[in-house]
Amino acid sequence: MKRKSLIAICLAVGMAGLLCSPAAWARSIKVGIVDCYSGPPSTYTNDVRDAFKLVVDQVNAAGGVLGRKIEFFARDSKFKVDLGLAEAKELIMRKDVDIMMGTINSALALAISNLCKKEKVPFFVTFAKSAKITGAKGHRYVFSMNENTAMAGKAGAEGLAKRPYVKYWIAGDDYEYGHAIAGGVWSNLKTIKPGVKLLGQSWWKVGEPDFTPYITAILSAKPDAVIVATGGRDCVPFLKAAQATGFNRRVPFYMHTATELATLKPLGLQAPEGVIGTSNYYYYYPQTAANKAFVKSFKAAYGRNPAVGALYGYVAAKFMIRGFNKAGKIDTEKFIDALEGMRIDSPVGPLTLRAFDHQVMYPMFMGVTHKVPGMKYLMAADIVTLPGKDVMPAVAEIKKARAR
Amino acid sequence: MGFAGHVTLAAFCQQVLVGLSRTTILFIVASGLSLVLGVLRIPNIAHGSLYMIGAFLTYSLVRLGGGGSAGFWMALLAAPLGVALLSFVVERGLLCRLYEREHLMLLLFTFALMLVFGDLVKMIWGADYRSFAEPPFLQGSVLIFGLPFPRYNLFLLAVGPLVAIGLYLLTNRTKIGKIARAAAVDREMVGAMGINVSWVFASVFVIGCFLAGLGGALVAPTQNITQGMDHAIIIEAFLIVIIGGLGNIWGALLGALIFGLTDAVGILIWPQFAIVFPYMAVVVVLVFCPKGLLKSIW
Repeated sequence: MKRKSLIAICLAVGMAGLLCSPAAWARSIKVGIVDCYSGPPSTYTNDVRDAFKLVVDQVNAAGGVLGRKIEFFARDSKFKVDLGLAEAKELIMRKDVDIMMGTINSALALAISNLCKKEKVPFFVTFAKSAKITGAKGHRYVFSMNENTAMAGKAGAEGLAKRPYVKYWIAGDDYEYGHAIAGGVWSNLKTIKPGVKLLGQSWWKVGEPDFTPYITAILSAKPDAVIVATGGRDCVPFLKAAQATGFNRRVPFYMHTATELATLKPLGLQAPEGVIGTSNYYYYYPQTAANKAFVKSFKAAYGRNPAVGALYGYVAAKFMIRGFNKAGKIDTEKFIDALEGMRIDSPVGPLTLRAFDHQVMYPMFMGVTHKVPGMKYLMAADIVTLPGKDVMPAVAEIKKARAR
Repeated sequence: MGFAGHVTLAAFCQQVLVGLSRTTILFIVASGLSLVLGVLRIPNIAHGSLYMIGAFLTYSLVRLGGGGSAGFWMALLAAPLGVALLSFVVERGLLCRLYEREHLMLLLFTFALMLVFGDLVKMIWGADYRSFAEPPFLQGSVLIFGLPFPRYNLFLLAVGPLVAIGLYLLTNRTKIGKIARAAAVDREMVGAMGINVSWVFASVFVIGCFLAGLGGALVAPTQNITQGMDHAIIIEAFLIVIIGGLGNIWGALLGALIFGLTDAVGILIWPQFAIVFPYMAVVVVLVFCPKGLLKSIW
């Protein structure tokens, strides 16, 4: 008797729960996120997820998209390709997500991209910088919500060509990112300014603990400028060694992510001044109403200023929402058709998703690090905007790479 | 490109100095490892973890001290002592019960310690990297041979010989040092003389781990303090101990010099392939002296 009543209660509660949940009325739009949320990369990835959540919460509060709520599931890949891929499979097979998103790890992004191509699930890449994602390995179901090594290389070259340097030295991580950035900058620079000369190159292992011997060796060669292709957490000890040796005061150097908040904030006032860097976003530039509004709402929600990752999360959410609205129903193929060539407004101005390769055409901001009175960390100054169409890799090049 | 033609004598001398300052850290860590290896006959795989804990402790203590010079000196002393205390607890609580067991057991034990310490660091300090600046008077650089040389590296250059002299005095002029050397050669005999070998082992283990902590404390301002710095250093430290001669402290000094100098000079003369230089040196040494350069006490 007792047992029967218990079962009855359980059933009743279960039914009530089923009826009350929004899923019972209209299935929510599910987004699966796989990214590295532990260890050093979380400095970058938390901003992506937080900004994404901010936009999604606003939309859900206003009634959702096509009458449906957006729901997302975030999984920690711990920077491991096998684990992240297993999580992506779990999200696609068991959670039945409509869209995949994420990852700062290029190898994992390419693996998930391959999975999504087979499963026909749109994949919004946030932060992985390999140009292969929308280049040689691009396909109908993959979208890049951030700049890539080809764009950074072109932007770096455009900016450096405007300066009077002739003799260059290249130094970087002996790893795909380092070689891709350095190669991108150098090949573009040679095209724009054929007179430049390469004095030499240094390559160190990823996670190199001490950069001092590399810097002293470079300084003794007396180049006019140095292209530093180091990324992620290695930026911090590199800039530290640059400050200790007075590198920046002797030879100007360019380092793609040097001016980003996530790089400069941990260093505080110890960061070297005068380092040239490129970024997609500064919370203090451009000084437009749209950017100010974004910074204000992000700060109100999380108590910190948004770094570049926040822009990627915001842009991903906006494209998804507009894509579904334009498609008019939840249909993957119509959604992708709607996205191709779509334009949205963002904190950095209007952005277009290029129809051919699904790459967001971000403008790049080139700035120089400098101290600002009253601030506890350095900021970018003398910011030059390089428009998105100028830094995008040519469609012809991508076609050639894909044909290979 | 290949061999760079820009190498001047001044640049070379300066690069040697940079290499020597890096040697200081390598020597301090490797000598501690070698000491424990020589006397206790334990390849302490957790040595690198103690180095990492030393660096994290230094970070926390410097933050506590407000980032000034006084705080730095205090941290430089207190962090290795903290590591020594931790190793004392581990030795008396766990390790001393295993001396009679076979070798593989001890090896597994130190490996387990490395994993435990790694997670301990993650629990206490989190997975983010940490970074703090050198004390104000050691910031920036001075000109040596017309090229900038970081002040902090000058400081390291001064510390290296001090530690070496300290170790010499410890092993040759103190009773514990002499007993430890004797125990390294013949521990049964030392026991037969009525000396409590277990306590000799404890003190040597603690001194060795203190050196790991000191290495971590000294390196802390110059780099990212992060998970994984334990693995990086333990591989280098073992290579140094192997090429120097197992258990020989002066072998560790020699090995550290070879490793640090080939690394720095390699970066100067052939920067594209600099990563392989120290490892090539290890291979060359082992081809000609398979037992290490100095007498192994194993």
